[in-house]
Amino acid sequence: MRLIAPLTARLPPALRTPRAGTALAFAAALALPFIGRNGAFTNFLADAGAFVLLALGLNIVVGFAGLLDLGYAAFFAIGSYSYAMLASPQFGIHLPFWVLLFVASAIAAIFGILLGAPTLRLRGDYLAIVTLGFGEIVPQTFLNLSQWTGGPNGIGSLDQPVLFGYRFGFNPLPYYLMVLGLIALAAWLANNLRTSRLGRAWMAIREDELAAAHMGINTTSTKLAAFAMGASFSGLAGCALASKLQLVSPDQFMFNVSVFVLAMLVLGGMGNIPGVIVGSLILSALERFILPQTTNFMHNVGLNVDLTNSRFLIYGVILVTMMLFRPEGLIPSRQRKAELHAGQADRRAAAAEGELLTEVIH
Amino acid sequence: MLLEIENLVARYGRITALNGISLTVGEGEIVTLIGANGAGKTTTLRAISGLVRPASGSIRFDGREIDRLAPSEIVRAGIGHAPEGRHVFPRMTVRENLELGAYTRRVRSEIADETARVLDIFPRLKERYAQKAGTMSGGEQQMLAIGRAMMSRPRLLLLDEPSLGLSPKLVQTIFVVIREINARGTTILLIEQNARQALAVASRGYVLEVGSIAHSGAASSLAASEAVRAAYLGGAA
Repeated sequence: MRLIAPLTARLPPALRTPRAGTALAFAAALALPFIGRNGAFTNFLADAGAFVLLALGLNIVVGFAGLLDLGYAAFFAIGSYSYAMLASPQFGIHLPFWVLLFVASAIAAIFGILLGAPTLRLRGDYLAIVTLGFGEIVPQTFLNLSQWTGGPNGIGSLDQPVLFGYRFGFNPLPYYLMVLGLIALAAWLANNLRTSRLGRAWMAIREDELAAAHMGINTTSTKLAAFAMGASFSGLAGCALASKLQLVSPDQFMFNVSVFVLAMLVLGGMGNIPGVIVGSLILSALERFILPQTTNFMHNVGLNVDLTNSRFLIYGVILVTMMLFRPEGLIPSRQRKAELHAGQADRRAAAAEGELLTEVIH
Repeated sequence: MLLEIENLVARYGRITALNGISLTVGEGEIVTLIGANGAGKTTTLRAISGLVRPASGSIRFDGREIDRLAPSEIVRAGIGHAPEGRHVFPRMTVRENLELGAYTRRVRSEIADETARVLDIFPRLKERYAQKAGTMSGGEQQMLAIGRAMMSRPRLLLLDEPSLGLSPKLVQTIFVVIREINARGTTILLIEQNARQALAVASRGYVLEVGSIAHSGAASSLAASEAVRAAYLGGAA
């Protein structure tokens, strides 16, 4: 918030509320493709939007409930393949897109519970390792079940969404507007969950699982709810992106996707919804525009450096830099900030202790 | 009897932590469980709260078997537990900690009443209401841990080493508060390494020695008993 405070300070007070900020951001996002009127840019926005959905979903698991999931792309894959199998010539099934949007996110949520259940007793590093395993197993399974999934070729010719007789076709604009609608829905849902009873239970588990159990929180069902909610968002993203690309294949869902989405959270600010959206957009823009353009520029000035090939190195540098200088992310949540600046807090606590010893409290 | 434990056996793997203990806590009492480190005091409380599954034996609360219930159901049944080492939520404010203590309760007005009661008993928490729990002193965190456990409005409050690591003055305060909570109608089962203070505040006591109950009786007679004095009260009382 510190980052945008100087910008917002000039606005009239009515526009400084979170609600006004959200409305402004949404209006800007809505206007964006019409200002540029650039097909490639709109195409980018639609793809980046799907990753915003993914980041919002992973934020529930990692940011809210504190369960480090390194295999989140598995649920993205499950959502995408659900759409691909039920809306393509693969089995000759052609269910409507809008129905499948719910079906795919429900299927992803069920797998969230199925894959979450065996990990319930694990936390920290061990949880990360098991989810990493799931993230590997799922695309491998789609790769090897070739009689149903088309193996390495994947499934093509997916149906395009149709809304009131309007066929989305190959123009990225309707996909972008749809994804924007889904983001609005997902962000609204995530924000309500955050302040709900369930959200408080997630944060209690993130802070101290033992204490959460002492409070009467059912840690099993609460953690499974986080996996299910997070996965359901990736089902939406999978459906949206698969229908736009009209193709799914296992290589879209490899480990690098899980890490890419996690990096969005780290960059933007884990647990903070606007932060996560901003982090996601920055990394998508870096991937699609900034690195290729910079490479082009360098070629033009005669430097033979290809930054797109070393993009993981660059992400790595960004993450390390963030960890060193701003570990709470660009737009941090209140609690992450407190946690990561605990050194200062400890000094305050020590001071308070000293003060207490010298006075009677009751 | 509000709480009846019979022949409770608890194991961690092949290690037996509780070797068939029996104890009772009557409505309105303060009962203390004293003993050396590793005697099984914390395990007893964890078994009551459902955080450790008993290998055999029974735990009845208000006449109902609770040893197969999930921890969340046991809180709902009316048992609050302030764990050893406080375990407050460090990055949350006092207010948020108390709200989580009332997690099993749904009626807003009751939660507000309970918050008022807790802040009345612990004025210090009122002053620190918007402060992060992790930035408070050990004594304040202990008060928060007890207050938070009271937010579920338990009939039985389990306190695990509430005076551990506190300055002598704060230890006094904690024991005054324990008496006050009890006077307001909450039954308390108290674990303490500070045996002298615990026996002073309790009506009855049990002495645990390596997983079994070695002595039990009225707190005053335990405090006077030679065996207990020699082992736990440091000789001269």
